[in-house]
Amino acid sequence: MANYKKISTRILVLGAVVIVAVGFWASRSSNTERNAVADDNVALADFRSTDIEAIQRGEYVMRTADCAACHTQGKNNMAGGYPLATPFGTLVSSNITPDRDTGIGQMTERDFFNAVRNGQGSKGFLYPAMPYTAYANLTDQDMHDLWAYMSTVTPVNHAIDENSAMAFPYNIRLAMLGWNMLFFDNKAFDGDADGADRGRYLVDAGGHCSVCHSPRNALGAEKSDHYLQGGQLGSWYAPDITSNPHVGIGDVSVEDLAEYLGTGTNGQATAAGPMAEAVEHSLQYMSEDDLMAIASYLKSVPASKTKAHTALDASLPSMKRGALAYEVNCAACHGVEGEGMGELAPALAGNHALQGEPNNAIRALMVGARAAATHTKLTGAGMPSFAWKMNDQQIKDVLDYVRNSWGNAAQPVTPEQIERIRVGMQARDKMIDGY
Amino acid sequence: MNRREALKSLSALIATGAVAASARASEMQGYPSNLAVADEFLPRPAMDGGKMHVLTDETALKTVTAVFDRLIPADDLGPSASEAGCIVFLDSQLADRFGQGAQLYREGPKLPGADELTQAPQFIATPRERYETGLKALEAYAQQTDGAAFADLQPDRQDEILQGMEEGSISLADDINTKAFFELMLQNVREGYFSDPIYGGNKDMVGWKLIGFPGARYDYRLYADRVGQKLDLESISLIPLD
Ligand code: HEC
Ligand code: HEC
Ligand code: HEC
Repeated sequence: MANYKKISTRILVLGAVVIVAVGFWASRSSNTERNAVADDNVALADFRSTDIEAIQRGEYVMRTADCAACHTQGKNNMAGGYPLATPFGTLVSSNITPDRDTGIGQMTERDFFNAVRNGQGSKGFLYPAMPYTAYANLTDQDMHDLWAYMSTVTPVNHAIDENSAMAFPYNIRLAMLGWNMLFFDNKAFDGDADGADRGRYLVDAGGHCSVCHSPRNALGAEKSDHYLQGGQLGSWYAPDITSNPHVGIGDVSVEDLAEYLGTGTNGQATAAGPMAEAVEHSLQYMSEDDLMAIASYLKSVPASKTKAHTALDASLPSMKRGALAYEVNCAACHGVEGEGMGELAPALAGNHALQGEPNNAIRALMVGARAAATHTKLTGAGMPSFAWKMNDQQIKDVLDYVRNSWGNAAQPVTPEQIERIRVGMQARDKMIDGY
Repeated sequence: MNRREALKSLSALIATGAVAASARASEMQGYPSNLAVADEFLPRPAMDGGKMHVLTDETALKTVTAVFDRLIPADDLGPSASEAGCIVFLDSQLADRFGQGAQLYREGPKLPGADELTQAPQFIATPRERYETGLKALEAYAQQTDGAAFADLQPDRQDEILQGMEEGSISLADDINTKAFFELMLQNVREGYFSDPIYGGNKDMVGWKLIGFPGARYDYRLYADRVGQKLDLESISLIPLD
């Protein structure tokens, strides 16, 4: 969950845009007319759904939308307090249990819809760290079910002051109005959420995949013309997951992709960091059909323009140094030919994300990586850190080698990319010069 | 901060995607997500520079160097023990846990005849102390029998004394188990010659190259089926230079 902190950083800064937007009050972005389908009389604290099926469906919606991940800190389910670090101070998630005084017990169903789909909460405009930009797509039915589920959550008395630690002017909620006007596409989902467009619905609504996987412009808004083409998340990089066959998932079968999403690994790719969290908290609870729907949809997303590179010449001295370092340090787990060890260590040969942004690969070498542990694949495989025995040049050599061997081809890693992660992650330096 | 600055600093942050170490999850699913090797499990390389930390007495240093270089002399197969860094290795080991006898049981009572009974002598003294008293006694023995420093004796004569120590025909002093002291030195010189160069000895991996040991490789399955063949694998240190 901690990685949401980094994501929110990117989104939150946009509060600043308020300045740009001051003066434009009436706006489509704050229109909540479509939430009129929800009841506006009964408060959550006074309501307890008895519709078992609706509650179960609602729990499923909650899983697909990963609400608990952000709204739980410690033991109390949904009681909020999960901190999201931003450059302007810390934003804390709300208590969304039905508690009347400190939770959302006083919200009606309509208030709830307004908060989740439109970013208008009990204290004013919400910061987009709460991904209402994606949840705007949630259907009325899913929202009704989610509401039914929320009524079953145990009320917890836990007062939260979400933005008290944020510095002026970022603590002004009205700022989000400006942001919304510029970047919030306040529209209902435009397809068949339970039929032909199920995959797209799950990705764009609950899954909020683009929050991580789409790059952002200089003001931090998702670039819609680069949809799912990869985005930087603090120390992580959420890779290109368009149908690009080189760095995206174009080459991966629907079944393999669904397996990755539902279990954390398909032997080729292994989910680490924020993606491991998405898998552990959310995706592993999805039905086989829904996973297949997501996978099929991803394969239909237009490919990014990233071209295949030409592989580095294996006879280069640096490639030879990399080959030896690989044989000595890595082959035991990743295989002599980069074929990996099934669920225990990912294959590097033909690994698409590996051939794109080198960010996560450098990160894995610097501080190690831990794969998702799921109900079907219980052991989250670990990759040890090599910072203590490799300097930046050695890391570059071995990464250039794995990114350019066994049919892989990628741009050489730059010393700046490596340095940035060693420093940023506070990874240790190599112990001694070596022998 | 004015508006321009604010926007500039924001976009700078976004463009570079600030890397934050502090936001690392400390634990996922009950096991640590931090996979950096814990300091206490990392190797403890020799303190570099060749400066002595324990073997600071000049005579003692000369004596042990002379002993080591008789145990592994320079010849056409390779350099001598001291040339290969075995003294640096020994000094660094004596300065650390090995020297403190950290893994030895050193409490009493020690009964007469116990060593014979257990067949491996137990020492209350630490290896560091045993070197200190042993080297002093060896030097005193040479002064007494030959009227010269052990280090200045002819190689043949040095060998004779060492052999006597090994066989048990020479006793350096009543309170010194001479045979065991010889064995300690023999064990340490071998360790120095063949352990990873990060520990000070086996300089340029001379020991490993001598016997064709490929060094600190993670996995030998690659070569496991090449039985009886000369592998000619390059020797690799645990912390390679490049
Ligand atoms: C990425 C983290 C994240 C996820 C996922 C998330 N939230 Fe939130 N949510 C927040 C944060 C942070 C706030 C507080 C925002 C603020 O105060 O401006 C918040 C606020 C809210 C509020 C407003 C509370 C109030 O009193 O105004 C509601 C309701 C809410 N979330 C419900 C949900 C539901 C339901 C889901 C799942 C569909 C969900 N959240 C998923 C981070 C998240
Ligand atoms: C919180 C941020 C975040 C969210 C939300 C997220 N991802 Fe990811 N995703 C990542 C990161 C980071 C990686 C890289 C993980 C790694 O290197 O192991 C990744 C990796 C992947 C990969 C593997 C790509 C490859 O080629 O190896 C796929 C597929 C993927 N995500 C799909 C999705 C889908 C579908 C969703 C929405 C249901 C989603 N992700 C939501 C951050 C996220
Ligand atoms: C002990 C087994 C082990 C060793 C040794 C090991 N790795 Fe890994 N490596 C893993 C595992 C397991 C993962 C998956 C971790 C995850 O995704 O969280 C991984 C992940 C990676 C990744 C990220 C792949 C991706 O899809 O994001 C790269 C790159 C990598 N390793 C390179 C190396 C290199 C280079 C070496 C040698 C210097 C090495 N590994 C040594 C087990 C190992």
